[in-house]
Amino acid sequence: MREFVYDVFTRKERGDRLQHVGYVDAFDDETAKVYAWTTYSEEKWFEMCVVKRVNVLPVNRTDGLYVDAQESAHD
Amino acid sequence: MTDALDLSTLNEDQRDALVRLIVTLADSKRLMGIRYSDWTLGAPSIETGVSMASMTQDEWGHARLLYAMLKTLDIDPGPFEYERTGDKFASVSALDREPLDWAAVVALMVLADGALSTMLRSVAQGTLEQARRRVPKMLAEEQYHMSMGSAWYRRLADSGGESRRLLAVATEDILPGLLAWVGVDDAAARRMVAIGILDSAADRLALYRDEVREFVALVGVDIDAVLGTSEWDEVRGRAVGRPDEEACERARGDRNRALLVE
Repeated sequence: MREFVYDVFTRKERGDRLQHVGYVDAFDDETAKVYAWTTYSEEKWFEMCVVKRVNVLPVNRTDGLYVDAQESAHD
Repeated sequence: MTDALDLSTLNEDQRDALVRLIVTLADSKRLMGIRYSDWTLGAPSIETGVSMASMTQDEWGHARLLYAMLKTLDIDPGPFEYERTGDKFASVSALDREPLDWAAVVALMVLADGALSTMLRSVAQGTLEQARRRVPKMLAEEQYHMSMGSAWYRRLADSGGESRRLLAVATEDILPGLLAWVGVDDAAARRMVAIGILDSAADRLALYRDEVREFVALVGVDIDAVLGTSEWDEVRGRAVGRPDEEACERARGDRNRALLVE
């Protein structure tokens, strides 16, 4: 079963910066949302978002997680 | 919204019917939690296992809140939670046996947890004041259960082969008991409808069929062709049968309470 990495972003209060808190592996957007919500449940978040890592476009780096994700998407 | 019901005006038959409704919902939530908890380890991925743990907590929290609603009838929930033998449990028949494979767990998520939500939505819109206040939060938490179940149901159904076959078997196995439960129209259920605590059996059943239709069709089941089981236990408000003894022991928390020191 093919899974994708989704990065998880949260803010605790309205007006806080959206911060990266971790990631989950999931096979689609819906399961990614459930996995993120249940895995990163240590706070009562004001907002939580997930982003499929392959959709994050590296700007200045030529190596690292986001470059790897781009490359693996073309495998 | 119609006025809240004054529970002091209920006659004995109405009170008994309301107790039956509360207990079947609470027992089902507690057993659902047990069935989910068995898959916190052994789920297809770590993330799925974490979600199962979270859903277990939700279900047990819901069960506790539902049992506590008995207090509005001046009934101590303790004996219901801790002292009943398995033949008195009123949980839905779909939860009587441990699901032996992941496909069976997914079928429970969509079809059994979905049936519970259908009934709870009906109760939340009815005349029972405590349900109006408590159930909406339960239903909000249940959205995650349905999202998880829906995604996995589609995934397994689309995968073909053994996974799809197991999903079809589990679906066909549990649907008759669930349809009978959601669409219950015996004397006690009709009393609940008459005083506005539940929608009509026809409305509940139509809603449930609509909610699961597209899913079960994925494994070749026509929801409109499936009938509810006719073997019905009017005392408990569920299909004939009972949960396995180990599950009842865990639901009562026998071993946990043996550790309590007074």
